[in-house]
Amino acid sequence: MRFTIFQESRVGKRRTNQDRVAYSYTRDALLLVLADGMGGHLYGEVAAQISVQFIAQSFQQEARPKVIDPILFLSRVLSNAHHAILDYAFDKHLADIPRTTIVACLVQDGIAHWAHAGDSRLYLIRKGKLAAQTRDHSRVQLMLDQGLLDAESAAVHPGRNRIFSCLGGSHPPQIEFSRGTPLINGDVIAICSDGVWGPLDTDTLVQTLADGRVMDRVPQLMNEAEALGGTQCDNMSLIAMTWHDDHQEDTPDTVSTRTMPADAFTTQMEGFGRNKRDQEDLSEDEIERAIREINAAIHKFK
Amino acid sequence: MATQQNCALPSGFQLDHYRVERQLSLGGFSIVYLAYDQDGTPVAIKEYLPNSLALRAEGEVTPHVTEAHQGAFRYGMKCFFEEGRALAKLVHPNVVRVLNFFRANGTVYMVMQFERGRTLHDYAQKNKGNVRERFIRGVFTRMLNGLREVHAHKLLHLDIKPSNIYLRADGTPVLLDFGAARQTLMSDTPILKPMYTPGFASPEQFTNRDALGPWSDIYSVGASMYACLAGNSPQRSDDRLNNDTVQPATKLWAGQYSHHFLATIDWCLQLDPLKRPQSCFALQKVLAQRHREAPPPQKTWLEGLGSRLKTMIGRT
Repeated sequence: MRFTIFQESRVGKRRTNQDRVAYSYTRDALLLVLADGMGGHLYGEVAAQISVQFIAQSFQQEARPKVIDPILFLSRVLSNAHHAILDYAFDKHLADIPRTTIVACLVQDGIAHWAHAGDSRLYLIRKGKLAAQTRDHSRVQLMLDQGLLDAESAAVHPGRNRIFSCLGGSHPPQIEFSRGTPLINGDVIAICSDGVWGPLDTDTLVQTLADGRVMDRVPQLMNEAEALGGTQCDNMSLIAMTWHDDHQEDTPDTVSTRTMPADAFTTQMEGFGRNKRDQEDLSEDEIERAIREINAAIHKFK
Repeated sequence: MATQQNCALPSGFQLDHYRVERQLSLGGFSIVYLAYDQDGTPVAIKEYLPNSLALRAEGEVTPHVTEAHQGAFRYGMKCFFEEGRALAKLVHPNVVRVLNFFRANGTVYMVMQFERGRTLHDYAQKNKGNVRERFIRGVFTRMLNGLREVHAHKLLHLDIKPSNIYLRADGTPVLLDFGAARQTLMSDTPILKPMYTPGFASPEQFTNRDALGPWSDIYSVGASMYACLAGNSPQRSDDRLNNDTVQPATKLWAGQYSHHFLATIDWCLQLDPLKRPQSCFALQKVLAQRHREAPPPQKTWLEGLGSRLKTMIGRT
């Protein structure tokens, strides 16, 4: 499996970043996940963090080196993440249940599956054109589909941030699944929160990411979105991944998983442990765990 | 924070399964011991012991960490784990091998393979002004094999210097001391200042840590090659940004070394990261190239032979 991947999350002009992003891969499977905690509700950040962390952890446990059934996996982990949020709210006696959007994409055997709830989006860009896109679970999107709104008025509609499906909250989420989509060399999968797709139009996103140079393009898009977002700029998160043929020549930024052991994984998660308190908080358990992990790695590679 | 000298564990001390022989080196962040395991195999053990945060007085075993420093001490431990994690994954003949990791005496220890030989720094000091181009090219080409492996794991070494390059008895280099290595993508705000050696660190290590990349290690590789010729490191790169007094190698040693080789050193020492070789491989390719211009004969045949003999003796 060979791909190039880049993720970034920025706080924008908000006080906190309630977006969470992560990707994780084993030798044969790759997971991208993004959650946008809902600001209007209590602890949106918590919901997003629980979801991303839970989904990434499940992936690490089950992908050895790939999951048995991608669709079942996505369905199970998303619904379990939902219940994890409910449990958290129950444990902490929260007045309101935290909510978050979710979009997760799993690639294995060269086939991409994705699932989402809410208005965080996935785009599949092939040969410079938009090949697939998730449909937002929002009132505005429904009105668009029914012809009650056109794209222009939808962009400024007061209720454009209202969504009818999410993880957490009092209603069970309506999760939408994609069909399995075989990836070809050069395909770009991008997932982003509304802080990115809101200010930018789809064409810009597609055109910019079309060349697959995600290392440069992601920061570039983030800059543009941030500039357009102005003083009200929302949290912005974007993960973009370019898929490569296995027999292509190595380029410096590309991740090749060929030489990975079957039970190893690599995870990149942002938004955790950023503040000073988290860093100082290294518990006894964590020390023991770190030592165990290091020794396991030493013996594995011996 | 006041800096103080920490006392090393005494010789003969039984540390986990190892018996401490003597202290090998003392840094601001750690102490390295030579020790023997149960089978009598020599190992190097690195003890996490930051000078500024933990104090071990004479005759004590467990270092004393004040309440106020607990947080930072634990955070530094995280960095130490990072180094362990980094090295545990790396199995390469040109990178020092980690054998074990354990906890004792209120701190943590990393056991590494003990390498016999000496540092490139010692070698260069001993053969001051007499280090041959072929030798440098050979050592660095092989050392870069190890560094490539490091970069392939998405790590940066960030403290490459002649005293961190060890030459085994057979002349093969080993890259040591990953104390400064960090996962490049970590979004930490460090409490403990990263450790590095001023003359060998790239300018982005001082100013713009977001711009760190393989090219930052390449700068240090260039500075190390420069130091092999000069006997000391070039001017600190942060000072160079204000007032660059570094003479290009092509000027300083013209005639003594091939122009191609000297130009390669200058290329690595560019202040602009983009103007340097961008990867170890790019630099290796150049270093491994047989230089077209042979250095003009400097010495008479007999002198040349003498110095060669000296190097050969010096190497064993």
